[in-house]
Amino acid sequence: MMSDRTERLIDIFIHSFMPLLQAGVKFTVPLTLISFALGLIVAFITALARLSSLKPLSWIAWFYVWIIRGTPLLVQLFIIFYGLPSLGVTLTPFPAAVIGFTLSVGAYGSEIIRAAIGSIPAGQWEAAYSLGMTRGQALRRIILPQATTVSLPPLFNSFISLIKDTSLAATITVTELFQKGQQITAAVYEPLLLYIEVALIYLLFSTVLSGLQSWLERRYGRHNVRAGGRIS
Amino acid sequence: MTAMIEMKNVQKLFGPHHVLKDINLSAERGKVLVIIGPSGSGKSTLLRCMNLLEMPTEGSLTVGDIRMEFHDGNKPKRDQVLTLRRQTGMVFQSYNLFPHMTVLANVMEAQVIVLKRSIEEARKRATELLRKVGLADKANAYPSQLSGGQQQRVGIARAMAVDPKVLLFDEPTSALDPELVGEVLKVIQELAAEGMTMVIVTHEMKFASQVADKVIMVDEGCIIAEGTPEEIIQNPAHERVRSFLSRITER
Repeated sequence: MMSDRTERLIDIFIHSFMPLLQAGVKFTVPLTLISFALGLIVAFITALARLSSLKPLSWIAWFYVWIIRGTPLLVQLFIIFYGLPSLGVTLTPFPAAVIGFTLSVGAYGSEIIRAAIGSIPAGQWEAAYSLGMTRGQALRRIILPQATTVSLPPLFNSFISLIKDTSLAATITVTELFQKGQQITAAVYEPLLLYIEVALIYLLFSTVLSGLQSWLERRYGRHNVRAGGRIS
Repeated sequence: MTAMIEMKNVQKLFGPHHVLKDINLSAERGKVLVIIGPSGSGKSTLLRCMNLLEMPTEGSLTVGDIRMEFHDGNKPKRDQVLTLRRQTGMVFQSYNLFPHMTVLANVMEAQVIVLKRSIEEARKRATELLRKVGLADKANAYPSQLSGGQQQRVGIARAMAVDPKVLLFDEPTSALDPELVGEVLKVIQELAAEGMTMVIVTHEMKFASQVADKVIMVDEGCIIAEGTPEEIIQNPAHERVRSFLSRITER
């Protein structure tokens, strides 16, 4: 015979699972996908700006990365959501969170992309130039395809970190997965059960991403895996 | 004879290092110029100045119908640099093939991107060139699946694909296992026989005497001897040339 306690826990688990999953699908997942997509664009532009021969451009990019990496994401979210209204910029929670996470992905991602571009041997640039390519052509056709393969694993690290970091959006009132977990906990008072359940759903999401990573690496990494040990 | 490449009073400085000192040379149309010299002599830098992978600090450079003047601090015009480079092709010591592309795509790439040829046209020309270097059957392989000698032959086909007026070779066999050197030299000799203008930096003295119309010896950034292979390699008059050659042949 099951005890009343166990029965109650199972009951709460079953009844809270769908609302939690819904909060995840409705807020956590879109917040992650939108912020990561926009963040990648920002990261790419920032990386190119850092590598640009135009000094002011490269300084601006450096400054942006310095600020974002040097301050806590939580504080940045508070500045955007609670701070900006005093400058007349009032954002609803979701867009505020998107901006905060995009800036974060943009800064960390730009360093990954910059390092990946830098890891491609100089001989590849030289071969492209010797064939008469412009810098842009060399970058687009020769360097970036190889840099993409190099940057996939670290970019997926950022992606997976991001899906977990979106729990910080709870602090600026986005009713995403973690916030929903807190709400249900407040009602039924089973924190251990609820937060484990929340953790499991995050684990589910990040496992899907890991699977996507393996697939992409198999698809885009096959030639370079073989050549991986070759120097020069 | 008309010069395909002409250098006048070319100087190259890397910071305080005077790598090339007052270089004057010409590479004639349809001929093979071989550059020899000890490592660190500046011979690779000299070759790389010919397609502006290194910018001369001073002097003038003519390649085909493009003439450029260099003065310290003056940045050369981008369009001129590109036009000049498009008259040359380069073969690298470490091949520098594009690892993310098949052999065929390596040879097609610049035709499509730089010369704006159609895909069919580029594929036709690439296939032709691969047949010429004996690698038609490797068209769909990736560079990492080839031996060094095969990779270098693809490198030659890739450089030829843009129909350069002159081919530059930067120690094309130095990274190869000894048994693979022959197949690459054979391809270069065939090109020489067809009248391709070439400038070759090499340590292969036997090959140099066979293929060269003119040999230049570079030491400490200066051209210290210039002449036919007989004059420079077989019967060297210059003391430094003799000692360099004896060090090389001792190996």
